[in-house]
Formats: sequence, structure tokens, C-alpha cells
Amino acid sequence: MTKIETHSAPNELLALLLEESTLKGAERFQRYPERKFFGYFCSYFPEELILAAGLDPLRLFPDSENSTPAELPAYSCSLARGTLDMEIREKWQDLVGIGFTHTCDTMQCLSGIWAASGHSKTIDIVPPVMLTAQGASRYYQSELTNLIQELATLTQQDITQQALQDALLLCAHTRNLVTELDTLRPNLPSPIVFAILRAGQLMPRAEYVKALEQCLPTLKEMAVTAHRRAKLLVTSAVLENDSLFTMIEDLGGRVVADDTCTGYRHYSGHTLTESGDPLSDIIKRYTGMPSCPCKNRSLNERISYLSELAKQREAQGAIIVIRKYCEPHAWDAVTLAETFRNHGIRTLTLELEGANVGGQERTRLQAFIESLSQAPELSKEG
Amino acid sequence: MPNAQSTKHNEPAKKRNYRPLVSTKALQKTMGRYYAITNYHRYWGKPLRRPLAWVTSGAPVELLRAFKIHSAYPEQYAAIYSARQATVSLCEVAETAGYSQDLCSYARSNIGGVLRPDLAPLGGMPKPDLLVACNNICGTVLKWYEVLARHFNVPLLVLDTPFLTGELTPQAKEYVLEQLNAMAVDLEKITGRKLNQQSLAEQMRRSAEITSLWKETRQYCQASPSPLNAPDLFIHMAPIVVLRGSQEGINYYRKLEAEVKERVKLGQGAVNNERIRLVWDNIAIWPQLFSFYKLFAEKGACFVTDTYSGGWAADHAPGTPMESLAATYTEVFLNRSPEYRANQLINLIRDYKANGFVMHSNRSCKPYSLVQEVIRRKVMRETGVPGLMIEADMADPRAYAEEPVRNRVQAFLETFDDLT
Ligand code: SF4
Ligand code: SF4
Repeated sequence: MTKIETHSAPNELLALLLEESTLKGAERFQRYPERKFFGYFCSYFPEELILAAGLDPLRLFPDSENSTPAELPAYSCSLARGTLDMEIREKWQDLVGIGFTHTCDTMQCLSGIWAASGHSKTIDIVPPVMLTAQGASRYYQSELTNLIQELATLTQQDITQQALQDALLLCAHTRNLVTELDTLRPNLPSPIVFAILRAGQLMPRAEYVKALEQCLPTLKEMAVTAHRRAKLLVTSAVLENDSLFTMIEDLGGRVVADDTCTGYRHYSGHTLTESGDPLSDIIKRYTGMPSCPCKNRSLNERISYLSELAKQREAQGAIIVIRKYCEPHAWDAVTLAETFRNHGIRTLTLELEGANVGGQERTRLQAFIESLSQAPELSKEG
Repeated sequence: MPNAQSTKHNEPAKKRNYRPLVSTKALQKTMGRYYAITNYHRYWGKPLRRPLAWVTSGAPVELLRAFKIHSAYPEQYAAIYSARQATVSLCEVAETAGYSQDLCSYARSNIGGVLRPDLAPLGGMPKPDLLVACNNICGTVLKWYEVLARHFNVPLLVLDTPFLTGELTPQAKEYVLEQLNAMAVDLEKITGRKLNQQSLAEQMRRSAEITSLWKETRQYCQASPSPLNAPDLFIHMAPIVVLRGSQEGINYYRKLEAEVKERVKLGQGAVNNERIRLVWDNIAIWPQLFSFYKLFAEKGACFVTDTYSGGWAADHAPGTPMESLAATYTEVFLNRSPEYRANQLINLIRDYKANGFVMHSNRSCKPYSLVQEVIRRKVMRETGVPGLMIEADMADPRAYAEEPVRNRVQAFLETFDDLT
């Protein structure tokens, strides 16, 4: 049933994408028994290499935001706690391995904790933090070369240049499709777009691409231009469900720019494919993509990028989400809020335990979105 | 991560079943001079062309010293703010400005002090001419120093030391080395001075000397009874942090070492009737420095060594000065796997003949604390000694729940009742 028939109706495929995004990989064995998945956490884990190793990348999401595994203190983020708890409950047993990328302190710690207390095979990559530092790209190259070897050891199969090039092309194609969808964002319901983007981090990649290719025309048809919704930018770490985006939509808002780890930021940046040296193309993409707060290309680069994005998309408001105990995002939140405000963009900072929003957030969001609707630009439009 | 403070601890120590160190006087003098010269920097820095850098505790300060840059340590000041009970009001300033209460309390109180120097002990820190951060201790310092760089509008130099999941790899070492060379070029521009290789070598020599003095002093604590207890180590680590590579620092540690050696000769313990020997893991609980450790001392429990102040006792790596800097600063323990850290603790327990260990689960410091439970299990498994976990914060007293802590400590110490 999950195999994509060439004549599946586009709305069936849309249903498939939405379903996959809700399942968060839970039924992967039944649905894709012939596929081998490799778990990862962070958008800086190069998915090209997972694909080139003949595996499908599966982004790990927690099944609860209230898990408290004894191996982590309560003051760690619920993404780390929830996924580790699932490891201890042997929910990731079928994965060929799990990849950790050095991004924040929590991820750095989680990798060691996982290796010490879990059952899965873990692999690490430590990309440069200072992406433009002297020697960074040479170092990055060596780290990727090591990673290729580790993946090959894991699968007992060499990773060829051709496999790398094919994976690069597949990722470039995925990112192009997603970018097409991203441009429809102002005219499509936000939870749908967000869910489709999440599905791409959970499904076998080839299936995802086929489904998305076939759905795009329908999605374009669904896109309606005239609306009076408050245009918002959302920036956040991982959001494992659509709760926030649904509430925004329900309250009359529309997410026109998405800078979340599991949203458009995961796919953004330019993928080069033609140098004939796939590794160096991969490095250029990960070095150049809009960065997360854990990485630095230059002091104000991320802040300027986001204020420029808000401007381009004509966002009237920005919602800055801080996952409880997530330091990197909490740090940037302050400068970001100030910068947005200086650009005339109102901001709301929401601190969430996980991805779910509740009554308290509804009240704050409602007031925020209403205040935007009264803003002069929006009244003019209507 | 770190830091210690200096002042005023002699007096309460006397009342507490606790042998005060004569060297504390010398410490106060040494540190007093350092703070005085630092606080007056604005008068002498420019004319003498000696910029002031704010640096993280793991920054390669020997290189800065070779450029005649004067360094001040926000983490050190934050520890002083805490010992002087100013952390809460300073953190509240930062929190009102939007910084989450879950961020490192050193960083929050530092930012509070930047925004409201009038609330900060010592009048806050003198303004920096540049900022130098090294992420070998945590990722927090990068974000914190980015905020400072925007606020002060001064150059920020970052040394990116890749986290070591195993041993230092050649590519990581090469990457750090390249950055150090680039940093030297930046510093030449900032200071208008050329890098003098001889002066750098001399800085490295002194830094190695001070490190071995600190290391030897600590090793005397393998004696029974131990001549020093954790609060001594925490207080007397101040010079190795801020005066690494200086002659004043060396002079001071020579004195301390002599006193500690003498104590061992005379069989004098830091704690009267030492009965239980413990190892401490994580940053000190500064706001409770004496009341917390007293819970142990009054039962004859002495912290004979610790991983925190021991971070400054690591030998320099070999090679040219730059190579040595690259490896030494990348290999610091906070930049290494839980496995490495567990082994480090196991060795301390064996070498210091400890009966148990206490881990401070420090809300502020994720890289230090998040991995502690898996370390605790491994260490208990391999050494057979018990390990206690206490949740608190190194600087923010709001995270310290006195009653539960006391109960846990008492229950833990009761497990040693058969030790005489
Ligand atoms: S949510 Fe924040 S703290 Fe947690 S893993 Fe992501 S970046 Fe790290
Ligand atoms: S997070 Fe830890 S290592 Fe980093 S500055 Fe704070 S206390 Fe120091």
C-alpha cells in the first residue's frame, strides 16, 4: 500500500506524505520492509552519505516530550530525553546505525551517553563550528572521508564515487522540489507544507521524491492567493509535529518563512552537483546553507539572513521558538528579537517544552496575531 | 567553565573543623594585585599599547601574553559575583533583557554585569578591546561571546577545537594549528606587534612550570590525611587560571607547594580526623562554598581531589609552541568523551585511594553535567566505590535546595559508617 503506484492519484500521495509525517517513522518495518534506515538527528549530518551507503535517512523524533530517562538530567531538552528514552526502550533497534553531528553541547553529550547506554551502533561527525575559519574546509573534508569509511564498515560495502554523485543529485532534486513548495508557502495552509517537509526526513528518499513530484501540481492548484492572514516568520529548533503551525493557521496567521531545523532550513542552501568532486560539493552546501545557531560563518550572518528573509517574504511578525533548555536557540533569540523589532517586525518569543502548544500559547498567539492584523499594512491589503 | 575567587575565606574556615592555609595571605595579595591592575587597565592599556582581552578559561592565553595582551576572565568574575551573593540580581538583569534562565549562570551574570555594572562587585569588568573564545569547554562560550562582540563592537577571535570523540586526530590538530596561525596574524594587526617566537616559547615554558607546580601540589593530597580539601583547591586555583604563564603565578604556587609539602611531612590533614576520602566532579558550588563542604568536613569527609581544578594540571603536549598549544587546548577533558572522563575519574579514585565520589549535576554547565550519570555508573562498576549526585548550580543559588541536599549528603555519608 505504501509503494507508490505510477497512477496513484495525487491526493492519495498527498495523504501518504501527511500520513508519513504523522507516523514519524513508527511503522517503517511494516511499510518498507525491504529498506534499511539509518537514524540521525541534525541537519548537519550529511544525508548524501547515508544515501550513498545504500541506506535511507530517518530523522529521530521523540514519541513524548515528557520522557525522563535516568541517563539524562531533567534540565536537558526533550528532544534528547525523548529519543534516548526510546533507545532504552529499544525502539530504534532495527536501524543500521545512528549518526550524531556535533552541533550543540546537548548533542555532543547525547552521542557519548547513547554509546554508553544504548544498543545501536553510533557514528559521529564533528564538522567545524567556525565554518569559514582557516583550514575549516580541509578539516571538513577529512571528517567526511572518515565518515564514508565508517559507513562502509557498517554496511560492509564500499561507497563509490558514482554512488556519492547519485546521492548528491537525489538530494539536489529533493531540495529543488521542496524549494518549489516553499515558494507556495504564502498561499498554502502552513501545517500542510510543514508536514510535507517533515515527511521528507522520515520516508525512504526515492518514495518521497516521487510522491512530492506528483503532488506538486495539485498543491499548486490548491494555492490560493487572496487571503487576509497575518504573515509570519517562524524560527525554531526541531519541531516534531504541526501543533504550532496548526494553531497559527487556526488563529488567522500564515507562516510565510520557515527557519526551523525540521522545516525549510533542513533543505535550504545551494546544492552544487557539477564539480566532479562530490565531497567538495557536499562541503560547500553544508558550509553555505543558512546556518543554525550552533554554527558561525560570521558574527551577524544568521541574524542578517533572517531579517532579510522576513523582509523578502513581507513577514509582519516573527515567532521565535525556544525549546526548553535549548541553549543555542535561546542565545540567538535575544539578538533576533531586537533585530526584527528594529526592522519593524513584531516578535513573539515562545518557550516550549517540546513541539506541542497548549492553552497558554493559544492566548499569547491570538493576541499577537490580532495585533498584527491591526497593523496598518495588513488593513490596507484587505 | 571554571573559576575561583580569592578573598575573605580565611575567617569562616577557622570556625569549621578546618585547617586554614597560611598561603591564603599570599593568594590574596597576588590576586588583589591582578584585580587592581586589571581594573585600572583603562589608564595604562592604551599608552603602553597593551589591549585588554576578555577570554574564556580555555583560551590559549600564552599566545595572547606573547602579544602583551592583558587578559580578564568573565568566568572568574562570575565566580566572584557568586561568592559575593550578587549573582541573582545580575542574572535578573540579563533575564529581563531576554536571556533565558536556563542559560549558563556565568554567562547570565556576566551579561547582567555588563548591562548594570553598578550592581556588580568590583564595579564589573573593565571594557574589553577584544574578545577571545575557545569552544574547548562548551558551545555556550561562542554564543555568549557573540553577544559581547555585538555589545562592545570589538573583534571576536574564536578558536574552534573539534570535540574529541576518541583521540586527537591529525586533521583536528592541523585545523586548530591553522587557526592559531591565523589568530597570530589577527593579533599582529590588533596589537601592532609582531609575533615574537622567543617570547611565545618563554610563555609556554612558564605556563608549563606553573602547571607542574599545581600538579605536584595536588599530588601531595594522595597522602593520608590529605593536606587539602576541595574548597582549598577551588580557592587556590585562581592564579593558575588568570596568571598562567606569569612569574607572579609561579612564585605563588612555589609557596603553596612548600606549605602543602610541610603539612604532609607533619601529617596534618585539611580536615580534622579525616575518615572518608572523596573525589569531587564538576565546578564548585560557589554560593555555598563553605556551608556545603562543611556537611562533609564535620563527618570527617575530605575531598582529596577533583576534576574541575584538576583541569589546569594537565601536562603540555609536545611540539613547537604552536603545536603544543593546538594539542593541549584541544585535549582538555571537557572536550572529550564520557568514556575518557570516566577513566580519568577512575584513575583519580585509585591514585588518591578514595572511598567514594560526589558529582555536582550543575544545571548551568551542560557539557560537564549531561554525561555524569553514565560516568557515575561506569565508575561505580569499575571501582566498587559509591557515587552521589547532587543537583545544584555553580553560581545561581536559586537552583540549590538546601534541605534535600543535606538529606542526600547525610544518607550518603552514612554508607561509610563502618570506616573509622
Ligand atoms: S533542541 Fe537545542 S539543545 Fe536540543 S538538540 Fe536541538 S539544538 Fe541541541
Ligand atoms: S557552560 Fe559550562 S563550560 Fe561553558 S562557560 Fe558555562 S560553566 Fe563554563
